[in-house]
Amino acid sequence: MAANFWASSHSKQQLDPEEVDVVPAADRERGITTEEFRLVKIHMSSHIWRLAQQVKVRQRVIATAITYFRRVYTRKSMTEYDPRLVAPACLYLASKVEESTVQARLLVFYIKKMCGPDDKYRFEIKDILEMEMKLLEALDYYLVVYHPYRPLLHLLQNAGITDLTQFAWGLVNDTYKMDLILIYPPYMIALACIYIASVLKDKDTTSWFEELRVDMNIVKNISMEILDFYETYKVDPQRGLSDEKISPVMNKLPTKA
Amino acid sequence: MGDGRAGASNRPAWLQQYDLIGKIGEGTYGLVFLARLKPTHPQAAGRRGSPIAIKKFKQSKEGDGVSPTAIREIMLLREINHENVVKLVNVHINHADMSLYLAFDYAEHDLYEVIRHHREKLNLAINQYTVKSLLWQLLNGLNYLHSNWIIHRDLKPSNILVMGEGEEHGIIKIADFGLARIYQAPLKPLSDNGVVVTIWYRAPELLLGAKHYTSAVDMWAVGCIFAELLTLKPLFQGVEAKATPNPFQLDQLDKIFKVLGHPTVEKWPTLANLPCWQNDQQHIQGHKYENTGLHTIVHLPQKGPAFDLLSRMLEYDPRKRITAAQALEHEYFRMDPLPGRNALIPSQPGEKIVAYPIRPVDTSTDFEGTTSLQPTQLPSGNAPPGGQPVPRQLPRQMQQQAMGGMPRMPAGANMGAFGAAPQAGMVGLNPGNIPMQRGAGGQAHPHQLRRKADQQGMGMQNPGYPQQKRRF
Repeated sequence: MAANFWASSHSKQQLDPEEVDVVPAADRERGITTEEFRLVKIHMSSHIWRLAQQVKVRQRVIATAITYFRRVYTRKSMTEYDPRLVAPACLYLASKVEESTVQARLLVFYIKKMCGPDDKYRFEIKDILEMEMKLLEALDYYLVVYHPYRPLLHLLQNAGITDLTQFAWGLVNDTYKMDLILIYPPYMIALACIYIASVLKDKDTTSWFEELRVDMNIVKNISMEILDFYETYKVDPQRGLSDEKISPVMNKLPTKA
Repeated sequence: MGDGRAGASNRPAWLQQYDLIGKIGEGTYGLVFLARLKPTHPQAAGRRGSPIAIKKFKQSKEGDGVSPTAIREIMLLREINHENVVKLVNVHINHADMSLYLAFDYAEHDLYEVIRHHREKLNLAINQYTVKSLLWQLLNGLNYLHSNWIIHRDLKPSNILVMGEGEEHGIIKIADFGLARIYQAPLKPLSDNGVVVTIWYRAPELLLGAKHYTSAVDMWAVGCIFAELLTLKPLFQGVEAKATPNPFQLDQLDKIFKVLGHPTVEKWPTLANLPCWQNDQQHIQGHKYENTGLHTIVHLPQKGPAFDLLSRMLEYDPRKRITAAQALEHEYFRMDPLPGRNALIPSQPGEKIVAYPIRPVDTSTDFEGTTSLQPTQLPSGNAPPGGQPVPRQLPRQMQQQAMGGMPRMPAGANMGAFGAAPQAGMVGLNPGNIPMQRGAGGQAHPHQLRRKADQQGMGMQNPGYPQQKRRF
């Protein structure tokens, strides 16, 4: 498992691109479109990111949390599982799995600080703990997640372009605004980020890629998806999506009783 | 896995798939129960009424949610699959009281009880075939874990289960992954986790304050267990210095040095870098034991393969210590008697079969851990599992009681450890539901641990046993 992605539950749970953007029936009934479903996931991924900055956890914890978040919504509706609560609960669970536990009361504190008077985001410790258990169930108790970071460093070294590390690393971070981690093996995502970085920074990696003997069509497809994303969405690192864009969608979701 | 949603009644639907038999273990993390899958349950197909050990985790400290121990165990066991590692059959959640249940295939024995039976009841050494088969299977499971970058970190006889009669009779299952880690995760010192682990099987580098774990710590424990299988006594019975955040355990080190001689920087170069070696010159470096007496303790010829393997496992320098993969290739396993799949069958035709005791079951305790019901319905300690004197209605009655009232677990219960205290020697009833305490002193066995079980198919993925002649 830890040594072999292909034998892992992560690998066995990978989905086709069409499968990740299916809006659950309960959300469709509330008028949520495929595009809006995607917007919520983008916005809440950024929410997890910002919350994680506050409580200071490693990159890996954030990546695992967002993967859980996205995986949950391939199985559950936002109507039933409020993304405003699922997001911090994913971060909470991921912090335990990655051996750097964050206390639930700290999360509650920082959510209040971040979201101010908006009490749709306000939750008690108890809410997070209850959601943690529901998440375990929703994830079918599969908790080990692989990420592109480790293969990225390894591959950059192998290609002799470690000067691109920072740039490529940032690209990998941005891939979590998409569902790529649910679809492609992490090392393919890493390769796509290296591909983009080397093209944009004028490094000739053609022969290196050839020697790798990976399916370049997949690498290029992932790269195109990432570039498309940058063209389509503007995500403010401090605020997520703009209010005008995300509020109408969030308002379609029920709030806690 | 388990659907925790409540059905029409307020008890979770998943509970109805089991017939509860009783409690078989207890520890700070919670309780372990013996149950059977009801024959009507889909998963029971082909495994009618197979016994299941259900480990219930109490909610950890107020506000801390699911215990990290439980998370670790679920995370690892959900990924791995090997004949010599326990199999997690199911996970269940009871949302009403926020408790978590892990269901394992039940194993009737464990090495702690096997060794104890030979020491206290039979007064007879475990036969060579059984020792070798147990050790080989333990190494086989460990090799699988290590090659998947998992360190167990808490190997000891009570965590090594052995299957009772049936399809997998005499097969070892490594259990209790509450402390196990994937290497790439940062490995904090045990003391940082607030977890107390028995020190008898702890590697010297850890006792001297090494910050980083390697798989070699598990191999040291295997060496200790190997010696214990041979002599029926723990090899290094140190008295634990409690309540110290320091990993340094002088008495344990002293016990080791007495048997293996003093380690030297010549033989173990990185010794000089270990914090406790540097800081405590007076105590550890002070008096020296020159003569090594390991062979006299284990009664093995110093030139024989068994002794050679043992001393390679008890090598001071973790970098020189034999690995699980190397150990499996050792000459010891290539000579008669060859190791086999069922470790508990007699080694020679005509030899007497050892009847190991089965686990005592406390049938007076329900899933809530609340003592209930007619205290007359006690198990006789050694009734065969099929013949548990539990009327069919009883478990159901227990479940109703359990799920109806739903008393909450006391908040603030300490969730540090993970194993249950052995209930051996306890005769069924525990009216006050008082946690069973055993052996607090240095002489008594400190593992207050155990229980739970596992198995899995027939282990076809296995590399197979290392010899031509198999004893299946």
